[in-house]
Amino acid sequence: MKKKLVTVAVACLLLFGVIVDKSNRAAASANEATPAVSNACDRDCLNGFVDQYLDAVVAHDPSRLPLTRTVKFTEDGQRLELGDGFWRTAMARGTYKFYMGDPVAGQVVFFGTMREAGSPVSLVLRLRIEDKKIAEIETIIVRTGMNPARPNDTGAESFEKLGGPDPLFLETIPPAERVSRDELARTANKYFSGMQQNDGKGDYSFFADDCSRVENGQVTTQGRSANEIQTAPPASGQSASGQNGFSRNTSYGALAGCRAQFQSGLLHFVTRIRDRRFVVLDTEHGVALAFIFFDHAAGNTRTFQTPDGQTVTAGPTNPWTWEMAEAFKVENGKIRRIQAIFQRCPYGMSSGWSSWEDAMSDKARW
Amino acid sequence: MRRKFRMSGLLGLFLLGFAACVPRAASAAEPSCDRACLTGFVDQYLAAMVAHDPSKLPLGKNVKFTEDGVALKLGDALWATASGLGNYKLYFAEPEAGAVGAFVLVQENGTPAILEVRLKVVKRRIAEIETLVARKDTTSFLNTDNLKEPRPIFLETVPATDRPSRAEMVSMVGKYFDGIEQGNGDIVPFDKDCIRVENGIQTCPSSASSALGALSCGAQLSTKIFTYIQSVSPRRFPIVDKERGLVLAIVRFNHPATQQTVDVPGHGKMTMGRYSQWPNSTSIAELFKIKDRKIKEISAVIVTATYKAPTGWE
Repeated sequence: MKKKLVTVAVACLLLFGVIVDKSNRAAASANEATPAVSNACDRDCLNGFVDQYLDAVVAHDPSRLPLTRTVKFTEDGQRLELGDGFWRTAMARGTYKFYMGDPVAGQVVFFGTMREAGSPVSLVLRLRIEDKKIAEIETIIVRTGMNPARPNDTGAESFEKLGGPDPLFLETIPPAERVSRDELARTANKYFSGMQQNDGKGDYSFFADDCSRVENGQVTTQGRSANEIQTAPPASGQSASGQNGFSRNTSYGALAGCRAQFQSGLLHFVTRIRDRRFVVLDTEHGVALAFIFFDHAAGNTRTFQTPDGQTVTAGPTNPWTWEMAEAFKVENGKIRRIQAIFQRCPYGMSSGWSSWEDAMSDKARW
Repeated sequence: MRRKFRMSGLLGLFLLGFAACVPRAASAAEPSCDRACLTGFVDQYLAAMVAHDPSKLPLGKNVKFTEDGVALKLGDALWATASGLGNYKLYFAEPEAGAVGAFVLVQENGTPAILEVRLKVVKRRIAEIETLVARKDTTSFLNTDNLKEPRPIFLETVPATDRPSRAEMVSMVGKYFDGIEQGNGDIVPFDKDCIRVENGIQTCPSSASSALGALSCGAQLSTKIFTYIQSVSPRRFPIVDKERGLVLAIVRFNHPATQQTVDVPGHGKMTMGRYSQWPNSTSIAELFKIKDRKIKEISAVIVTATYKAPTGWE
């Protein structure tokens, strides 16, 4: 009996020792991780990896890249062998280039244009760098006119007409006004929470008065007429075929300004914004970037009441998901600029970087 | 006494074991859910779907549901949008495997779409639900006007003495996919009058004005105009309906878009279809009618998919 007790006690101590040791190591690595990674690859270094990657893609030659042993690559949410997919078809880089680096996290996201089979395409690229090697590669390719769901998409050409990102994204925030990574992510996440099942009754003071948004190269916060919007690439929830009958008073796109669109309550048909992964939190520039999915269940959420008492039926008529990367410029706790690249994907699809539970959750992660 | 008890105990165990085996043996020979029972599950499924109420269904504890390859909660996707059913319902079943499927015309918020549904029924409960939905805006071609009722050949019963084995039927269909990959119709056991209908549109021989469209199913493959389909993988054959000579294959066509043109003998250099233009895949549920050991008809539900997207059932 005594012997048994001693054995149990020794086992407990050993186990406790292991736990303590593990937690100490975890704490130590958490403390060390930030500066170590930060020094490992600064902003220029991260951007250099983007250029190196895209040059290798155009050369159809992944062997040029410094890769970790377990590098993971996805294109449009599907895990592929490096060298497959866009690697086989890319012909050249385009002119639009927007780099968003997060040296603390060792991550960089690039919005840009490329050429494939002679046509311009939009690209989202995320790289995670580990010890100066590429550990993770996540891409979304938005093609012009190739997707039956978006026959009129002109995203890449529109981006190139813009020339480059809104200069505001590139301005640094004065050190005294910089906020924590957590606060940056929390502010940007208010956009998703305010849009999901939007009822127009929330607190939308997180938008700056001059907030504007560019989606797939098109400004979608200028209050264009319903007619213009229907002939443009569809904004969130609008059918490519224009069959949903948006009219001026039922289209949020007809309203000018980010805040006015949210206050209208007309975005209710965005049922869920899920798998919110904030992968870039650049406190120096006040830029937060998330990969997300917008689900439009297209069932009874299509008919709803707006704050002004209208009963509106709007949004897609069949289950519809946007696969998206969205960047926010945040200043003084307010969102001033938004830029997104997205395309339709199978309803409910996962990114390839989350568990099923996280992929279905509307909780933000960073 | 003790020994006697032990003996009788052993005998009892043996008898119990025997008793337990008997119903199992019987169920293997005679499925607990026959064709009518299985198609009844499909009807029950469709009725619950249109009522937007999955709670009406007898479901297995770990039931799995996918739409277009994505695992979802039952009640989501087409469950939320289905507004009615058309008359077109084509059933196929493999009672020995508890497997049943159907191609069905559905209305979705008033717009027609084609649903392929596959169910696996275990102990009179639905254990698996795999669906593909061909919608106007998720596929490049669809015509539901032709889907008034199933073509009669799919309902014909094959005489019991003429039924090939499951393995033989799967092998014949496998050769169709090999023929696509290799651009060779000669290796496929086509009936000379084979017809293929995809998303409601007859594509071989087709009435389309293109020169190749008018060719037979086999001759079309041999032109190599489908070279852009680099691989048909993965391939699954979840339902083989021997009684009706039907095989349901669920496959993914992969189009890496590394080649857009092909030399067709007698026609010169031709540009292949739009799916050769960018890396993409198509998810396909394809039903084959086998008669006299030849592929007599093919009917397919096709959905455009992300390049090499999993089917959800690998």
